[in-house]
Amino acid sequence: MKILDLAIKDLSQILRDKKVLLFLVAMPIVFTLFMGFAYNAGESGDENADTRLGLAYVDPQPDSRLSQMLFARLEESDALKVIRLEQAEALDSLRRGEVVGVLVIPSGFGEQDAGGTFRQLTLIAESNSSDGQSLYQLLRVPISQLMSAVEIASISADVQGSPAEFAPALELAWAKWDETSRLERVRLERATARVEESWFGDNPYNQASPGILVQFAIMSLVTSAQILVNERKTRTMQRLMTTAMRPWEMVAGHLLAMFGLVFLQTALLVVFAQFVLGVNYLNEPLGTLLVSVAMCLWVAAMGLLIGVLAKSDDQVVLFSLVSMFLFSALGGTWFPLEASGGAFAAIGRLMPSAWAMTGYQNILIRGLDLSAAWLPTTILLAYAFGFFLLALWRFRKMEL
Amino acid sequence: MNAIEVRHLKKSFGELQAVQGVAFAAEKGEILSLLGPNGAGKSTTISMLSGLLAPNDGDAAIMGHSIRTEPEAAKASLGVVPQDIALYPDLSARENLVFWGKMYGLRGAALKTRVDEVLDIIGLRDRQKDAVGKFSGGMKRRVNIGAALLHKPQVVIMDEPTVGIDPQSRRHILDNVKELNRQGMTVLYTTHYMEEAAELSDHIAIMDSGKVIAYGTHDELIKLVNGQTRIDLTLNVEGADVLDAWKVVEGVNGIDSTDGVVTVLVSDSNLVLPRLFEAAGKLGARITSVDIQEPNLETVFLHLTGRALRD
Repeated sequence: MKILDLAIKDLSQILRDKKVLLFLVAMPIVFTLFMGFAYNAGESGDENADTRLGLAYVDPQPDSRLSQMLFARLEESDALKVIRLEQAEALDSLRRGEVVGVLVIPSGFGEQDAGGTFRQLTLIAESNSSDGQSLYQLLRVPISQLMSAVEIASISADVQGSPAEFAPALELAWAKWDETSRLERVRLERATARVEESWFGDNPYNQASPGILVQFAIMSLVTSAQILVNERKTRTMQRLMTTAMRPWEMVAGHLLAMFGLVFLQTALLVVFAQFVLGVNYLNEPLGTLLVSVAMCLWVAAMGLLIGVLAKSDDQVVLFSLVSMFLFSALGGTWFPLEASGGAFAAIGRLMPSAWAMTGYQNILIRGLDLSAAWLPTTILLAYAFGFFLLALWRFRKMEL
Repeated sequence: MNAIEVRHLKKSFGELQAVQGVAFAAEKGEILSLLGPNGAGKSTTISMLSGLLAPNDGDAAIMGHSIRTEPEAAKASLGVVPQDIALYPDLSARENLVFWGKMYGLRGAALKTRVDEVLDIIGLRDRQKDAVGKFSGGMKRRVNIGAALLHKPQVVIMDEPTVGIDPQSRRHILDNVKELNRQGMTVLYTTHYMEEAAELSDHIAIMDSGKVIAYGTHDELIKLVNGQTRIDLTLNVEGADVLDAWKVVEGVNGIDSTDGVVTVLVSDSNLVLPRLFEAAGKLGARITSVDIQEPNLETVFLHLTGRALRD
């Protein structure tokens, strides 16, 4: 009961300062919105933007039948945006990045009507880029089909012994290829993989919300750890020692207050994210609760250690900020560890903050069930226990 | 059974032997004062009795409970008024008392009633809702005392509770101590003000350099100086030479100088005082003030240690 009384006294002292509410709730919400906006801006942004690959079509003889056939087929593609340009203008557009490639139709291309050799077309594009590769793949099929249609028409004219047969045979073969293409046995779509999508799922706040939640949970130590320092400064801790309260009860009382504060903050941020930002913590409510409780216990135990170690308010702020930056940056609260290098990610995964993020992201992004929350919860509880033992050991050695 | 029994307590901090085998006892219902200058070991002794410091050797019992083997039981019988104000400045007087009452195990109606009683005892009922941080030094001291009385302890330890406060608050506190004692509480009171020790105490233990150098009632202690008189004198010059000259004057039994005041212990002031004037005159110094005092605890301390209590 005395443990609860001590915790209630701590919370009452903390919460009577209205500035604390700004620090505990308003700032994390603002930062969550800000970070979510930043992640969102990093994606493609406008859903209505034209994502087709730009292709400059350079043809000195645009009126030839073969050229018209090829142009018409390319224009039909959902993945291509074909623009007729002069060669110099087309190359300028390529340099400016307005188009991904330039398709140059050789001079005399249309003269194959007479069954001449198929003249080679030229594609100018950045061959190492994914867009350049995509463009090549998109052009390869219709051009191959056109070559095939020309070959068939040529054979047909030879068999008939009539060059006049070339044109209708070409039309027929091309129509057949066109028909085959429309069967869509395999449809090639322009689809640039958005890597970020695997980090955020379908909502950038899936990263921003738990990230800021974990970061500001650590940040709240500035407030809660100061209570312990103030207890020493005002000599009330010494006075508590003269009562029949045992040292472990004092430590537990302060720990409970810190846990209560961090859990209250976490609960408010989860509710805000769930109902305002559409972050689906309720996808697995028990899992969210387990990870949150374990995370809050770890943070509270760390706050207790800071409160025991720090000798002044300045040191509390310093230790809390160092902890916040260390655990936030390395633990993947600002950006996913998947986006960082191998060594950084490996070190980051040792951090309790990384396990808190993993626990939340298993629920929010990967859509996993309760079983995916157990490992992060267990590891966070182990960290909490470790920090608590350190704090208790230091508390017993503390000079009052 | 004594309310407090201290047996050869020792405490060292590195090389410094702060308390060197202190022993004394206080009967139930009495006021025992620990009198001594700063650094005498009073607060260290109190800290060991309160459970804040573990003794290196020796033991003490509060209402029969050893502070070493039954610390919780000993603490439950004890109310401690620390030398420093140990309250939450952002909480009101009432909130502070309620919290400390809970820490002493009080709950519900009993707690409310007792908090009201204590607010009456310390005379702050009309200011109970004000934050302690806004109180004057004297008012804070009164709340500081009140917080130790909530569980009606059998023994109250007060560590210099009147340091740095106005005369009115000091008077209020001394009256409170007497009233608590009248109600049956045993009080262990530490002070370096001999007037307080003289006014309050049934017994006085005089401490110096970590030891109890004298113990007894006020009258018993005064008898130690065999009717010697104390004379406080001031000179018109820095008087190192004069002090050396006075030390060898016939009839001078002790001498000490602090803050420009020379304290001389003599058997017969009528006889010795003219000799002091004469010795000073020979060195070209003039005595500018003389204060002759009947034997008191200050005289006793000077007699026992060769130093004034205010040193």
